[in-house]
Amino acid sequence: MADTIADTSGLIPVTVLTGYLGAGKTTLLNRILTEDHGKKYAVVINEFGELGVDNDLVVDTDEEVFEMNNGCICCTVRGDLIRIVGGLMKRRDKFDGIIIETTGLANPAPVAQTFFVDDGVKARTRLDAIVTVVDAKHLPDRLKDSSEAEDQIAFADVIVLNKTDLVTEEELVAVEGLIRQINRFATIHRTQRSAVAIDQVLNQGAFDLQRILAIEPGFLDGDDDHEHNEDIASMSFEVEAPIDPEKFNAWIGALLQDKGQDLLRTKGILSYANEDRRFAFQAVHMIADGDFIGPWKDGDPRVSRLVFIGRNLNRPQLRRGFEACSAG
Amino acid sequence: MSQTTAPQFLLQTRGMTSELDAYVVAARFSRDGRTVAFALGDGSVSLVDRTDLSQWRKVPVHDGAILSIATDAGASGFITGGDDGALRRVGADGTVTDIASFGMKWVEQVASFAAEKGKGLIAAGVGKAVHLYDQTGQKLKEWTHPSTVTGLTFDAKGKRVGASHYNGATLWFVAAKTDTPRKLEWKGSHTGIAIHPEGEAVVTAMQENALHGWKLPDGQHMRMSGYPAKSDALSFSRGGRWLASSGADAMVLWPFHGGGPMGKAPLELAGGDGIICRQVACHPQQEIVAGGFADGLLVIADITSSRIIPVAPPGRGAVSALAWSADGAFLALGTESGFAGIVDFSARAPR
Repeated sequence: MADTIADTSGLIPVTVLTGYLGAGKTTLLNRILTEDHGKKYAVVINEFGELGVDNDLVVDTDEEVFEMNNGCICCTVRGDLIRIVGGLMKRRDKFDGIIIETTGLANPAPVAQTFFVDDGVKARTRLDAIVTVVDAKHLPDRLKDSSEAEDQIAFADVIVLNKTDLVTEEELVAVEGLIRQINRFATIHRTQRSAVAIDQVLNQGAFDLQRILAIEPGFLDGDDDHEHNEDIASMSFEVEAPIDPEKFNAWIGALLQDKGQDLLRTKGILSYANEDRRFAFQAVHMIADGDFIGPWKDGDPRVSRLVFIGRNLNRPQLRRGFEACSAG
Repeated sequence: MSQTTAPQFLLQTRGMTSELDAYVVAARFSRDGRTVAFALGDGSVSLVDRTDLSQWRKVPVHDGAILSIATDAGASGFITGGDDGALRRVGADGTVTDIASFGMKWVEQVASFAAEKGKGLIAAGVGKAVHLYDQTGQKLKEWTHPSTVTGLTFDAKGKRVGASHYNGATLWFVAAKTDTPRKLEWKGSHTGIAIHPEGEAVVTAMQENALHGWKLPDGQHMRMSGYPAKSDALSFSRGGRWLASSGADAMVLWPFHGGGPMGKAPLELAGGDGIICRQVACHPQQEIVAGGFADGLLVIADITSSRIIPVAPPGRGAVSALAWSADGAFLALGTESGFAGIVDFSARAPR
């Protein structure tokens, strides 16, 4: 369909800040806002009053998670964000980015999906990254008593592992191990009082197809054996033979349709047969997005890679399915 | 120059334009028809007296963006809602006065109804609540909804107020002693509302690029779909024979007569070049509709003959505001990039 805005470079970056109550989200937010960066941010919050937010443009909202009637059973969006982004764009020349702080108990999926599903939001903004603040001392307990804490880590591109001064080095290593079991691909920053460099949090380009899989340090690590249960795990796969686009589309389409509720995030770079450009792919639950990005660099191995973060991941099945997409 | 004749745009021969340097959120004419107001994303209102279209006066009203504007119930002036939480009145002379303040909550919806003898009603949608005031700004009622109000309108007689929200719409009776509204339910996110001028139907815009309707009084469902984009501008023609809508690469008009709209194909006007229609406004007297497109093109169309008359050329930003004066003699337009214009359709020799 046609629309006026064709130039994606003018899109306003959106950072989503998640994390349990008390983990240090608002402290991080205030650090971002008060640092001397000369930029202006619109901040969307909904726990106003707990801790003041030091910013000119603060929008107080009720998180309204709406189901979409688009045949996608797990597809929910934040209706309030669609309205707020529309409203903010009327004054757009006055800020450089949007930061959305979610409630402690929020599942990040509806926020992320909003940026894939709503045309008006897509035309004006781009989801930059999901940043999750976790409390090093209390995370093990949170993971035991709530699925939201797990979801927030699984969805994260950046994890701010906060309050490291309250635990020993051994405990810290153990907590990082817990995080890695859920999400091997997020960047982890150890902090005290949420002190992290702003450029480690903003402008990450984590949902930029151009940068898919470029920043995950854990990609080539050995796979864990955390499979076949309700816990969230992450897995990566590689196929060396060129991929047949039709086979891949049929397989991934059916997979997302069938298992989309369990698949929190999916990302991949594909080497299609008879194609010099890389194809980048990503999905949040059932909602997928993909496009050709630049050509393969000379000397780089033309290997197709796919990453899943989700529940009930069946490694042999996923591997066989992906391998069966090879051309010829 | 080429041999072909450039199309004549009425804005050039019968219009006056201005660059307002801010997103034009909406345009409205005052009740007496003398003044047109352009509500802007920089918080100001630009006022123009229609007897002198060369004088544009910008008045600061809100600290932030204006999100909604309605014609004041009084003879002149306007009511505005902003993202500064304020509900304000702007006189035709530029005087700004407060009606209410809602702190951090955005005043996203404003509607009004002008009754006889200078009386009237003002409604403001703030979060999940609708606040109802008389023409002086005296609060009459407050109605709450299950989720944020996304659209707000009075019916043609000022007896009912319709509010759209998640999972449907609610019709409130202004004069009811006890507030027992008519609830119109349909799953999904409803993002705007229109009431048929004869009270025969309520139609909402939906998140899923479709319209939903309820026939009144029986509540029978109507589903109008097939839009490639969101259809968020809705306008009934005089008497309600047609419902014009945005969201396709043409103005889409559903027949609300002859058994329609269900089972009838809509009329599509001014389509064919793949550009999405963003705004529609039906003429208050005749079966004419104005349509503004994402490339800035503005046309008017005779619904009966499907004849199209170009009004403004593309190139000055997506059309974001469109309004007719009550007598149908003037059309105001505004775009996302701050271009605004007023076209004079009254019978006179062109300049």
